[in-house]
Amino acid sequence: MRSLWRWIVSSSVFLSITSVHANGWNMPRGVTDVSGEIYGLHMTIFWICVVIGAVVFGAMFYSLFRYRHSKGAKSANFHEHTTVEIFWTTIPLLILVGMAVPATATLTKMYDASEADLDVMIIGQQWRWRYEYLGEEVAFTSNMSTPRAQISGEEGFGEHYLREVDEPLVLPINRKVRFLMTSDDVIHSWWVPELAVKQDTIPGFINENWVNINEPGIYRGQCAELCGIDHAFMPIVVHAMEEAEFDAWMVERKEAMKQEALGVDREWEMQELMARGETVFESICAACHQSEGQGAPPAFPALAGNARLIEDREWHIQTVINGVSGTAMPAFRNTLNPVELASVVTYTRNAWGNDTGDSVQPADIARRLAQ
Amino acid sequence: MWGLIKSVLAAFLGVQKEEQRRKDFSASSPWGFIITAVILAIIFVVGLAGLAIWVAR
Ligand code: HEC
Ligand SMILES: [Cu+2]
Repeated sequence: MRSLWRWIVSSSVFLSITSVHANGWNMPRGVTDVSGEIYGLHMTIFWICVVIGAVVFGAMFYSLFRYRHSKGAKSANFHEHTTVEIFWTTIPLLILVGMAVPATATLTKMYDASEADLDVMIIGQQWRWRYEYLGEEVAFTSNMSTPRAQISGEEGFGEHYLREVDEPLVLPINRKVRFLMTSDDVIHSWWVPELAVKQDTIPGFINENWVNINEPGIYRGQCAELCGIDHAFMPIVVHAMEEAEFDAWMVERKEAMKQEALGVDREWEMQELMARGETVFESICAACHQSEGQGAPPAFPALAGNARLIEDREWHIQTVINGVSGTAMPAFRNTLNPVELASVVTYTRNAWGNDTGDSVQPADIARRLAQ
Repeated sequence: MWGLIKSVLAAFLGVQKEEQRRKDFSASSPWGFIITAVILAIIFVVGLAGLAIWVAR
């Protein structure tokens, strides 16, 4: 008997300690004031439930054991006891109200996105995230960077398998950042547990949310709303920086955007276009048309050795810019810039033995986009 | 009147004495209870909304 008790006590102590403190068992405390409050609420309510469970089941099992039939216990037979009934109705009522008060206070705080220092537009796209720093003229798409070979099992998993991107969302600490969240296609959900943000992005709607991060670091998340075949492949990475570091990053990123814009005007070498095109193809197109352009017919046509593509340059360019409506082939006019569009078209016209030898210049694409 | 309100409030909470229940159920018409209950429910909802508006003000 004693050893049974010891086992019950030690295992429940073990469980409560691990479930509260071990990494990955519980929800994270996070790195914002709000996430800390949510964590606090979660733990408070958890312990309230534990106490209620212990009292209710304790009373039940004690009575079962103490007043068992074999000891000659006789069941009582009464039909009402108003005092007890009022007691067990009022107590839960008070507990619920007691939990609702702090929860409502936190909820009100979570919805107050006013007076932000920085506005970031977050746009869900099948299957990547686009970030636009409003008023800063900095915007980019963030694509998963896990190599396809790891996904198909030809290579071992990397450290951040499926949770790494080519360009993270960079945010400053100690500043209120407002998120304006929407989607270009279907409903996605932008979820980063450490920031306690999980918000649906809905086409045609703009949802608001905000963070004020306390600690610099890298925080990872995922799309949390089933959004199609590559739902698992649109991770989120947030890089939170010290304020000065962030300001420097912003200056640098703006400069890079300017260089990229300048790049539209100049003549690009074939080699440059091919190199750039390969990167774009790997991160954007390979999800459907596969790394070697072999496609996955009948769903996704092959681009390697595609006769129409090789013959009809004009149709090829139009297809990539405008997509094919009613199919899975997206329009890339708003997702990729002219340099990326020109290089990915050039790449697909010359890789894997397509060898057409012709190239498309960014300036040409820019002209078409302006029309 | 007060007895009617007390019975309806007891129903709101979900606790009533068996003796009182018997008495209420022997009333000649249920309409007194129904009308009192509807009025009290409206007061409850309006009061709750008022409380929420006052807190969020
Ligand atoms: C979400 C999946 C998906 C992605 C990502 C995608 N495509 Fe497609 N693509 C398709 C589908 C499906 C078609 C076939 C459309 C149709 O039925 O006409 C297609 C057709 C094409 C065609 C015409 C080929 C043909 O024979 O009809 C070209 C060219 C093409 N895609 C290029 C690209 C390029 C370049 C990229 C990257 C910038 C890309 N695609 C990204 C799904 C995709
Ligand atoms: Cu998604």
